[in-house]
Amino acid sequence: MSLKAAGEWLRERTGLDRVWEALFERHVPEAKGPVAWLYTLGSASLFVFLVQFATGCLLAMNYVPSPDHAYDSVKFIGEQVLFGRLIRGLHHWGATFMVVLVGLHMLRVFFMGAYKYPREATWIVGVGLFLLVMGFSFTGYLLPWDQKAFWATAVGTNIAGQAPVVGSSLSKVLLGSEEMGPATLTRFYALHVLVLPALTGLFILLHLFLVVWHGISETPERRRGGPQE
Amino acid sequence: METSRPEAEAPISRRSFLEWAVFSLGGLIAAVLGGSGLGYFISPAFRKREEDWVDVGRAKDFPQGMPSKVEFVERRRDAWVTTERRSSAWVLTSNGRDFIIYDPRCTHLGCPFRWDQDKKQFLCPCHTAVFGVDGRVVSGPPPRPLDRYQSKVAGERLLILPKPVREKA
Repeated sequence: MSLKAAGEWLRERTGLDRVWEALFERHVPEAKGPVAWLYTLGSASLFVFLVQFATGCLLAMNYVPSPDHAYDSVKFIGEQVLFGRLIRGLHHWGATFMVVLVGLHMLRVFFMGAYKYPREATWIVGVGLFLLVMGFSFTGYLLPWDQKAFWATAVGTNIAGQAPVVGSSLSKVLLGSEEMGPATLTRFYALHVLVLPALTGLFILLHLFLVVWHGISETPERRRGGPQE
Repeated sequence: METSRPEAEAPISRRSFLEWAVFSLGGLIAAVLGGSGLGYFISPAFRKREEDWVDVGRAKDFPQGMPSKVEFVERRRDAWVTTERRSSAWVLTSNGRDFIIYDPRCTHLGCPFRWDQDKKQFLCPCHTAVFGVDGRVVSGPPPRPLDRYQSKVAGERLLILPKPVREKA
């Protein structure tokens, strides 16, 4: 069977060509110069997320979320595994980049007023995604189990502990215990590699569906006559 | 010739150039990411194990002409875990320079055997296997001679690599 026939077979049974058209051949507003680049921030965030997913899967193959072995297993990845330093570096810098990109994307949408009717739902799901990224950052930071990771998480959970009334319970829920230790590490790891990725995948699907459904909003125009009227 | 150009010279449109650029750059990025990821994933297939030579004592101190049992602590590094376990081996030397080291487990079912000085044979208590001093099977069920460990003398010390090497039957 030729490639073309195989493609035809698949098209007839799945309608993949329609999905392709809807995603990649949809109309987008015309924008020129630096402004046009602002429209790439969402796709860039998605791409970095995919890189984080792939490198994260690889890192999880050699990581142990236990105080006994966490630090040594991370060291093992960096020193013994082929391309281990590169894969871990990608995940490390990708995490930083992700926060920057998502933040800029959010600012773009805010200042262009692109969250307005009828795109409020897209914005709300987007805010959910932003919070999930914050969750990834907070839980992922602890996993190397070095001094920086340990004390940063100590500060983070102490901040949660400052909350009125529920503070001490909240910090115990976060830590999985009275103090930071093995239960904290497994808890953060489970959140980081199971709960958050599943939720993020779901939210990304919703977000993308809404983006395609509503289309991209026009670039706002500068008003000629100044702010009056 | 000046006016009509062959189709091979068709001008490259902005769209087709951008398409080409996007697909090649994307392909390059995918190749680098996919290649290094694949390398990471399959690297255990060609990772070399570190050889854990164990120092078991001064080469001159071992009795000559008769096997002696040496006890040592075997330290194994596997990935990020280092384990220690007590282990032993039979050391045979006639001159304190050339050594034969036997794995202390019978090649039948892995029981520890002992040296009988009167009979000059290794005896295994489990299934009455008997080995000669050269490691060959004298009688009993073992399928092959005693397994050996590699050894070397570095300076004054005897080093062994506690990993059984099969002798040909």
